[in-house]
Formats: sequence, C-alpha cells, structure tokens
Amino acid sequence: MLNLISDALRARFGFAQESSYASYRLLRRLRAKPQALMTQNRVDSGALVKLTAAALALPGLSLAPRAEALIDDPVSLQYGYYKQTPWQLLGGIKSQYSPLTVENIEGNGILTFPDHWKFSFGYVQDTWSGATPVTSAPYALGGNNPTLAGASPLVRGNGTILYDKKLTPWLLDPNTATYVPDARLVQTVASASPEIRNSGSFRLGREWEDMAFNVAGGVSQEPDYSSAFGGVNGLINFNDKQTALNYGVDYTNSSVYALINPSYSPYIDKSYYASRGQLQVETGPNGTKVEHLTGIRQDWNFHLNLSQVVNRGLLVQTGIGFVRSQGYLANPYKAVDMVFVNTKEDPVPQPDGEAGLPPLWAPSVQAAVERRPDFRDQGIWDLRFVQYVDDFDAAVHGGYRFFIDSWGISAHTFDVDWVQPIEEWSVTPRFRYYSQSGAGFYQPYFLFSGSEPTVGDRFNLAGVPLTAYSSDWRLAAYGSVSAGVTVARSVGKAMAFEAGFEWYRHAGDLRMGGAGAGQGSWSNVDYYQFNAALKVDLAAISKGHGDVPEGAHAGHSGHDHRQQHIGMDGPAGILFNHMLANAGDTMVGVRYNYGFQSGDMMHGTSKVSDLQIVNQGCGPLLKCRYTPKDMDMSMVMLDIMYAPTDWMTLMLMPQFMSMDMHLRTLEGASPPSPDDIHALHGANPFHASSGVGDIFVGSLFKLYEAPGHKIHMTAGFTAPTGSVNQRVNGNSEFEHYGMQLGTGTWNAWPSLTYNGYAGDWNWGGQISGNVPLETHNDSGFASGTMFQSTAWGGYQLQDWLQGSVRALFTSQAQISGQYYGNFVPTGPMDMPQSYGGNFLDIGIGLNGHVKSGDFEGNHFGIEWLQPAYNDYNGYQLERKGSLWASWGISF
Amino acid sequence: MDRLNNRGGYVVRGLLILLLATVVSGCESVKPWQRGTLAKSHMAPQPFGAQAEFREHIYGSRESAGGSTASTGGGGCGCY
Repeated sequence: MLNLISDALRARFGFAQESSYASYRLLRRLRAKPQALMTQNRVDSGALVKLTAAALALPGLSLAPRAEALIDDPVSLQYGYYKQTPWQLLGGIKSQYSPLTVENIEGNGILTFPDHWKFSFGYVQDTWSGATPVTSAPYALGGNNPTLAGASPLVRGNGTILYDKKLTPWLLDPNTATYVPDARLVQTVASASPEIRNSGSFRLGREWEDMAFNVAGGVSQEPDYSSAFGGVNGLINFNDKQTALNYGVDYTNSSVYALINPSYSPYIDKSYYASRGQLQVETGPNGTKVEHLTGIRQDWNFHLNLSQVVNRGLLVQTGIGFVRSQGYLANPYKAVDMVFVNTKEDPVPQPDGEAGLPPLWAPSVQAAVERRPDFRDQGIWDLRFVQYVDDFDAAVHGGYRFFIDSWGISAHTFDVDWVQPIEEWSVTPRFRYYSQSGAGFYQPYFLFSGSEPTVGDRFNLAGVPLTAYSSDWRLAAYGSVSAGVTVARSVGKAMAFEAGFEWYRHAGDLRMGGAGAGQGSWSNVDYYQFNAALKVDLAAISKGHGDVPEGAHAGHSGHDHRQQHIGMDGPAGILFNHMLANAGDTMVGVRYNYGFQSGDMMHGTSKVSDLQIVNQGCGPLLKCRYTPKDMDMSMVMLDIMYAPTDWMTLMLMPQFMSMDMHLRTLEGASPPSPDDIHALHGANPFHASSGVGDIFVGSLFKLYEAPGHKIHMTAGFTAPTGSVNQRVNGNSEFEHYGMQLGTGTWNAWPSLTYNGYAGDWNWGGQISGNVPLETHNDSGFASGTMFQSTAWGGYQLQDWLQGSVRALFTSQAQISGQYYGNFVPTGPMDMPQSYGGNFLDIGIGLNGHVKSGDFEGNHFGIEWLQPAYNDYNGYQLERKGSLWASWGISF
Repeated sequence: MDRLNNRGGYVVRGLLILLLATVVSGCESVKPWQRGTLAKSHMAPQPFGAQAEFREHIYGSRESAGGSTASTGGGGCGCY
C-alpha cells in the first residue's frame, strides 16, 4: 500500500517510502559522523532526505518507551549477577545460609523483514538460591536461631519470650539468665536450593508511515510458578512526528504450585488455603506428607504514554498505567507470626532470685501462611525527560514516577543518569531514589491482647479478626537509594560491549520524611548487581558485506565464497573446527547444547536392577537409596573469535550451564533415616543448578594449507570460573557431582583439526583432549581426563545448505578424588566411580549460510547426536542423545 | 494520597507543575533536519535497554511498586 503513495506525498513528507530498515542503516552512518549532519545544506543534499528519514526512524525519535530501544541492539546476549548482603540476625548469630544470589542470562534479537515487518524475540534464564526471610518476629522469640537440620527455621520461636502488661516483649538474656525488656525485631531466615526460571517472549510488529502496531506474548516457567502473557501495543505519531502516543494492553495468567517446606510445615497453619481447596496433599514414600499450595492469578495492564520533542535537544515523556490483579496474590513461602498475650490470666511465676521483675505473661505463638487480598488495583504516573548537554556532548535522562495501589502502598521514584560519550566509549553514572509507604495489612508480626481463638484444643485461624496479613519486608514502609555506572564500548561498526554495576541500599530511614518515617533498621539490607552484555548489529554487518564495499572484509566478498566458509559449515557440535580466514576478521556466535539422560540404569554395557544398585552402587560400605530418574543438561557457549593474523585466531568461549535432575527411590532400598533430606520431598526429589561455567581461552594456529586441505591446531585451556560448590538444602550438603557447574580445576584443552573439500563434498576429522592440570579442586575432586575423536562428511544440498554425518568417540576417565568433609552418598550419582566411560555417537546435521541479502554472513547449524555404543563407568543413567545448535556471524 | 500531604509532597507537585508548564509552553517546531542531536544514540529514552530490563526485574522483585507505563509480563514469581 505504501508503494501507492504519490511522488507528491513523498515530496510533502520527504520520507514516505523510506523503509525503516534502510533508514536505520543510514542512521548508522549519521551516528558515525553526527557533525556532518549539522553542517549539511538542507536544500541541495539528496542524502539529507534519507538522513531525515533515518532520524525519524530512530529509536529515540520513534518516541516509544523502553522496548523500542531494543532496535539499537538487534542481537544481544547479557549476563547478570545479583547478590544481597546477609541479614542482621542480632545476638552475634551469623546466618548459616549464603546470602540470596541470582544469576541471569538473557538473549534478544530483532529481525527486520521487508514490507515493514519486524520480529523480535527474547529468552531469559534466572537462577536464584540462598537466604530468604520466612517471617519476622521479636528478637526475644528466638526465630533468628539456627536450626540443626538446616531447613526448618524457628517460625514459632523457642518458647523463651514473655510479655509485660504493656505488651512489651521480654528476652531471656542468655548471659545473665535473667529477663530484660527487649522490643527489637529480627527476620526469621530460611534458605532455598537453586531454582531456575526460563522465559521466552516474542513480538511481531508492523510499521506504517505514522504508526506502528505490535502483538507480543510469551511464557515464563519455574518449578513453582508458571505464567503466560500476551498483549498488543502501538504507536501513533502526529504533529510532524514531534509528538507520539504509545498505548498497550497486556494480560498475564499465572499459576502457583509451591511445595511447602516439609520440615517447617508442621509449625505453620495452612487452614485458610485448605478451606479454599488450594492445598494439595499427597503421600510421599514411607508415609511422608507432600503439600503444595496452589493458586491462579491474573493481571491486566493498561498503559498510555505521550512523548514530545520539545526542542532540538529535549525530549519529554509522560505516561499513565493501570494494573488490575486478582486471584492468589500472596507469596506461598512467607508466613506470619501471631502472638497472643492474655494478661487476664495469671502471670508466670517469678523466677527464683529475680526480684523486681514486673508481672510477665507467656504468650501463645502461632504461625500461618501469609494471606493477601485477592484483588489489587495499581495506578502509575510517570514523567521523564532526555536533555542534551551541548558543552559535553552528553545526555541527561531523568524521571519521576508515582505509584499508588489499593493495598495502601504509595511510592515515589526519582532517577537520573548522565550518558557521556568519550570516543568509542560511553560512561553513564546513575542515581535512583525510591520511597514507599507500607501495605495496610503489613506488620512485622501480629500481636493480640487476649487468648488465641481455638476449636477444641487447637488453634482456630478463622477466629483471628484479620482478612489479610503479611510480614513480607517488601510490603513495609521504607526507602532505598542506588547508584551505579554503565560503561559501554563499541568495537568496529557492528559490535558493542556493555557492563554495568549498581549498589543498592534498602532502609527504613531512607523513606521520604527521614528518620523514623519507615520501618526500623532490622530489615535493612543492601545488594549489588553487575551485568555484562555483548551486542551485535546485524544491519551494520550486512552493510559491511554489501553496500559498503570498501570495508575491511574483502575476503568475504571474494569469489570463492565456499572456500571462505566451508570450515564454518562443519557440524554444529564440533568446537574449534575452523579458523578465521583473514587478518582482522571477527566472529561472534552462540552455541547451544542440550543433552538428556533417562530410562534404565546402566553398568558397563548392560542394564542393572535396582537391587544391584542398592547393594553395589554406593561402594562396599554403604547402601544406595536413590538413583537418577532423568537428567537434563543445557549449555550456552558464546564463541568470540578474532584473527590478528591469517595464521592465528584467538578464541574466547564463556559458558553458561544449567542442569536439573529428578531422583527416584530405588526398589529394595531400606527406609530413610530421620534426617534424610530427600525423603521429605516425595518420591521424586528434584534438584537444579545453573550459572556460569568454565571459560575457555585459546588460540587456533594454521599448520598446513593446500587446495582442498587445511590443518590447524588449537592450544587452549579452561579457567575454573564455574562453581564446584553448588549445595542443596540450605547450604548444608554438596550437590551431586554432575550438577556442579564447572570442573574447579585449570584444564588443558588441545585439539588438532583437518578440513577437506572437493566439489560439493567436504569432510574432516578432529582429535581433542581435555586434561585437568590439578589433582583436585577446592571441593576435593577433579573431573576425569577426556579424549575425543571425530570424523565427518558433508554434502552441499543447496547453495546455502549443507547436510552432514559424523561419528564421535569419547573416552573419559572417572572423577578422581571426592568431596571434602562429611559427604554421605545416597546414590550412584554421588560416587566418583560412576562418571565417564567409552561412548560412540552418530551425528546428523544441517548447516546453513546466508550468502546474500540483509542477513548475509549469518551461519547456523543444528546437529543431533545419537548414542550408538555405551560402556559406562560404574552405575549411570542411560544417555539418550544430545542436540547442538549454533549461530554465528563473521565480519 | 495522604503521603503527599506533607511538605515533600507539595515540593514534588510544585516541581511537576512547573515542569509540565515549561514543556507545554516551550515546545518549538523541530523540523526533521534539525533532529541530528535527538538522533544520537545516547539521546534514546533508554540507551541500554537489556541492562535496564535486568535492573527493573530486580526492582520489581524487591519493591512493592511494580507495574509500568510500558509493557510488562512474565516477570516470574519473585517469591524470594
């Protein structure tokens, strides 16, 4: 339809037929030399019309909020890390749990198609673990005390607290063994084993001359919470594109399926949820009770945002938002303490030798899973500006945001940053202030004057005169300040690195209004976070291949395209299989590997019975109780290659790992011991771990090259950046060996690769070894030396597509050493002998290489490896296969 | 709204009204060829999008004032 726009119209608007994609490319040029634009003569420059169009298609000028900025980084991969400071537990008690940690990996991409269509996608994985408050209570209650099993916090205290007539808590001072008034509050902290959230999202958009419209959606999955979301949003430009209106509606549907920690469940009242049918109770092995709290929530989000170009250097935005949430809006892992003091009863007898104490009463203490209203309306208004600072060529971003909801919370947020470009660098310091009032149903704990309501001789929660109650510290009144810096550097025209750091302080006294306006300091906490991202601009690369022939990548536009890229097109599962062809070349890619094991338990080349594992799988002294039921492993590797000369290519390969495993109870196993942590989690305990793995650093060297034949070697090593200290159950025990994220040792990883090709055929072979250079890591073990050899053949099916077949032989020794300390194996997955073996896999794959058009230079591959022969060390779960997928771009 | 009924609230509101008034009265016509400065990458409303989303994700799980005047969805439980 746009093609029908007349020349007259084009002249009228100057940019009517300019596709936003082409505009975007032009804009890259504009950015490279911004001054050029300012000195252009606007009348006689034909390019100026395009530049204008480019400017109008800019993210900055599309006037869209947050999401639109993604256009600036069409493909990006980001790692983020968050760590909280330990909770203050008073009384010299140090938390036995590691502070809360979150690791995040995120990938985003935007594909621009002809006819103004755009598709963007995103993938996020979060892994979190560590200490988290269950509830809060008076220090005198003793809820801050560590517990022996490591899993059950003292939610109902330890029976030492007394109250006086004014309902002030009295503490039994352990040093003097006397009672003293003490009104201090403290968190009751529990810990969670690592849990992983995966989320995928997409957005499909169409752009018109003065409008854009998007449809978006996605899913988010974690073991206890899954949600699906979808929405539409759009943009309307008017007033010569000086004003823009953004609008949108989103809907999210989430369901909760939360395991109530079995070790503290007996101390928590769940009757409210049981009465609503939200408590699902199953019987685990040996009669243990497995309870899940379930619920559904729905969120509707409406927003409207107006952007205005005020002058040549000032952009202002303001927006309103409304969110309606309904359903189960509480946090299934949070509890409240309810303390009942009946001063009409007799006080406790005065302890001997403690003259002068006032009458004191022993309270009854109950704990219940928190309850929030089933309904929440939230209103948001914000105002933002971007101001150019001429003298420094800098930009200041600032904003204010007001929030109010039907729970009684109102909040103010102020933020400001200063983006300072310095040649290829930019440095952005930022500051943020946040202040909120507390929810109406929040109390650190709930204190009642009078006896607890009862039915028969049991606590009756329904008799408590409250319809909502929470002690979640995030619903209290407090303020926060945070400060951070972002550093970004562009590398060439197509790549940029970004890194950010932020420190954050949450404190009651930081609430607007000053000291005393917020909650006391007992719930103060700090955190820091950092992140690093790599961005690749496909449009700029394509330009380098195509319409800017003077680029430094002449090798790629040469006549022998196949020769340049043949190595790259090897099977997706082969690492280090090609060098970069020319000095100055860069390649950026992502490789994904997913492997899974399930089915029978194997010993050597044959199946074994459960009883055999019970008796032999855990060594001569111990009996096994569990065995793996299934295991998933996925690995994301970032391939970054750079060729300083044509005979050497440098390579950096960070890895991000995630694993999960279900266990099952072996038939014929003896009943669990009382402190068996797995027994509490039902018949199929579930473990997960995720985070940064070992990083590979190395070089590829050209050894031999003749027409049709190439040989290179790789010399490199992995650094022990992956954790070998993954633990479960509140940090008390090591995870199974196979669930650790790295090897914990420095490993050499050399390889020798041959590539051959003739006509439509290509073939190759590689041998490689992965050898630990230390005898044990910080946790006490070292992975077994691994040797691999592989050979493949490929055929060019199409000009851009190739098929491949290969064989891979792997031989890996068992783990040497074992976990330090008192580690008690519960199954073969805890035995160093049950790792490694000799394996033969047959692979089949496809590789594609885009040789022209907007995505020229992109290559991708996919390969499936099917186990053909397995000889397992010890007792292991059957290997079922692995999938490799790769994408890369060279420029 | 009672939180706004204090001195801080008045100051905030006063500043906002002043800012709005400035914006409304101060708009000048900016022709497309005059937008070179606005076209600079650091003048984008959010120059570091992915990073900002990570920060917002954390704020969203640590603070009560979630929600947004832009699209949201699928932030997960944030139950910790």
